[in-house]
Amino acid sequence: MVMADEEENGVSIQLEFPKGRVKKIMALDKDVKRVSSEALFLVSRSTELFLQFLAEKSAQVAIEKKRKTVNLEHIRVAVKRHQPTRDFLLDELPPPSQAAKPDKPTQPAGRPKLDPAPRGTRCIDQFFRKPEPENTAQAPGQPPENPAQAQSPENPDQDQAQSPVPVDES
Amino acid sequence: MMDNVGGSSSNIAENSGIIREQDRLLPIANVGKIMKQILPPNAKISKESKETMQECVSEFISFVTSEASEKCRKERRKTVNGDDICWALGSLGFDDYAEPLRRYLQRYREQELDRANNPPKRG
Repeated sequence: MVMADEEENGVSIQLEFPKGRVKKIMALDKDVKRVSSEALFLVSRSTELFLQFLAEKSAQVAIEKKRKTVNLEHIRVAVKRHQPTRDFLLDELPPPSQAAKPDKPTQPAGRPKLDPAPRGTRCIDQFFRKPEPENTAQAPGQPPENPAQAQSPENPDQDQAQSPVPVDES
Repeated sequence: MMDNVGGSSSNIAENSGIIREQDRLLPIANVGKIMKQILPPNAKISKESKETMQECVSEFISFVTSEASEKCRKERRKTVNGDDICWALGSLGFDDYAEPLRRYLQRYREQELDRANNPPKRG
């Protein structure tokens, strides 16, 4: 993958995302008690890499479709083409029926997932996956109005959605 | 730490007052900025795409965090550290992130050492 702005000259490392916000998002997980500064740094940086990757793939899709503007459908196609990303993101994206001016009424070659757990032991959307297999060739009849808010389905009792997570920052 | 960033996404109804919208997503300005750095100069990004990317990257953080904290729980540790994050990324299929992150972590540690050896004046 292309590493944008990769500097090997020992220049000070500047994170693009505010660390406080990243910490808050991590803290949405009830199981997270404490996060080291290294972990916070790595999550921020890996999220940058992920965004760069997804933006690059979405741009490629837009170019293939001869579009100047990257829209939702291009992101969807990019997500589908990358197995690890598809595993946790495909069900999170808005359904095609809600997409603004889709290029085609039907999605090209929407293949059903054959392997429910190809890598790792679990995916977040496993807990929320519908029993019916998802057929992306046709728009689902029930667009999800409320995306899953629960970040830790193993803890149904959510007394506090945001528990403070102290980060050891020197 | 006070977050003073506007432009909170409103494409999701706030039914729950527990999690504020702006606390659940990364700032759209940062997301759009990084996207622009990657895309060709003449490319444009729809607002809907930026908002979708906000969701995607925030979901990525939760995804990696969940995997790392699960490992911590099994090993009876309370603090999620850098190795847990690296392990989680590999476990979830983002192996190609390991090498660049190792390099960045090395520089981060060097930076921390410099900071420790030259503590900034706080008086």
